Amino acid sequence: MVLLSVPLWLRSRLTDRFWRVQEVLKYARHFRGRKNRCYKLAVRNVQRAFVKSTRARRQKKRYLRALWITRIEAASLEHGLKYSAFISNLFKTQVELNRKMIADLAIYEPKTFKSLAALAQRRRQEGFLAALGDGKEPEGIFSRIVHHY
Amino acid sequence: MTGRGTASRFLTAVLHNGVGRYVRQLQRLQVVFSPAAPDARGARQFVEEEAVDFARRHPDVVVYVRPCDCPAPVLQAEYLNGTVREELIASKTSEEIVQLAAKLASQSGLDIVRIRKPFHTANPSVQGQWHPLTNKPSALTVHGPRTAPQ
Repeated sequence: MVLLSVPLWLRSRLTDRFWRVQEVLKYARHFRGRKNRCYKLAVRNVQRAFVKSTRARRQKKRYLRALWITRIEAASLEHGLKYSAFISNLFKTQVELNRKMIADLAIYEPKTFKSLAALAQRRRQEGFLAALGDGKEPEGIFSRIVHHY
Repeated sequence: MTGRGTASRFLTAVLHNGVGRYVRQLQRLQVVFSPAAPDARGARQFVEEEAVDFARRHPDVVVYVRPCDCPAPVLQAEYLNGTVREELIASKTSEEIVQLAAKLASQSGLDIVRIRKPFHTANPSVQGQWHPLTNKPSALTVHGPRTAPQ
């Protein structure tokens, strides 16, 4: 025989509703409008914020690379080179700097960047000579490849 | 858990520690445990065997041992900038507690939050930062407009 009256006398009440609500609202405090105060609105917007932040971790890499490329393009145009020519010729001279470092050099070490642009320009000329010349001229100095293996 | 929703800071050393003499940022370490509880066995072993060696190896740190009637054994670390960090050592072996204490001793008291960049420098530019007139010819090299032919 199951006695149901005793369990019915013991009520179980939710006592930490405040803290459960605060767990969500603490991520909504910097929002605009009522969604930083009202739980019902905040829950939806906090969920969206988390989803967006997860997706943005992959997008951040794309955006930063595009920013670096824009900066390198602007800096190399100051020295009379287009971005494509600069990067391709720097690659051919085995200068293995990534776009982040080249962008930082362009901002903080302008003379170094100028010498990199001159190097790329020289390699470009040597490439033209090798392609359009008759083969009688010697190979360019900056076209030499160093094998590290 | 978002970038702006949670705290973050830049990489710094406390008061440029390390430029001159390196000062250990851990001020005192309190080992709070109960002499009878079963989960404090590792803490008791640590206090009997390893605590003195630890204190000798780190002479800058003051090690307090507090046996008291506490619910859970705790390693409390206080740093020079005022932060207090408590680490639970319940059901941990003596070696693990030694490693934990060494980790706390090597930390500074700065908050453990997301560090925005893994680098920081006060002098980012050696050659002079770029400004719009860096790569323009200066007044010394510019030749003015030519007047009538001589």
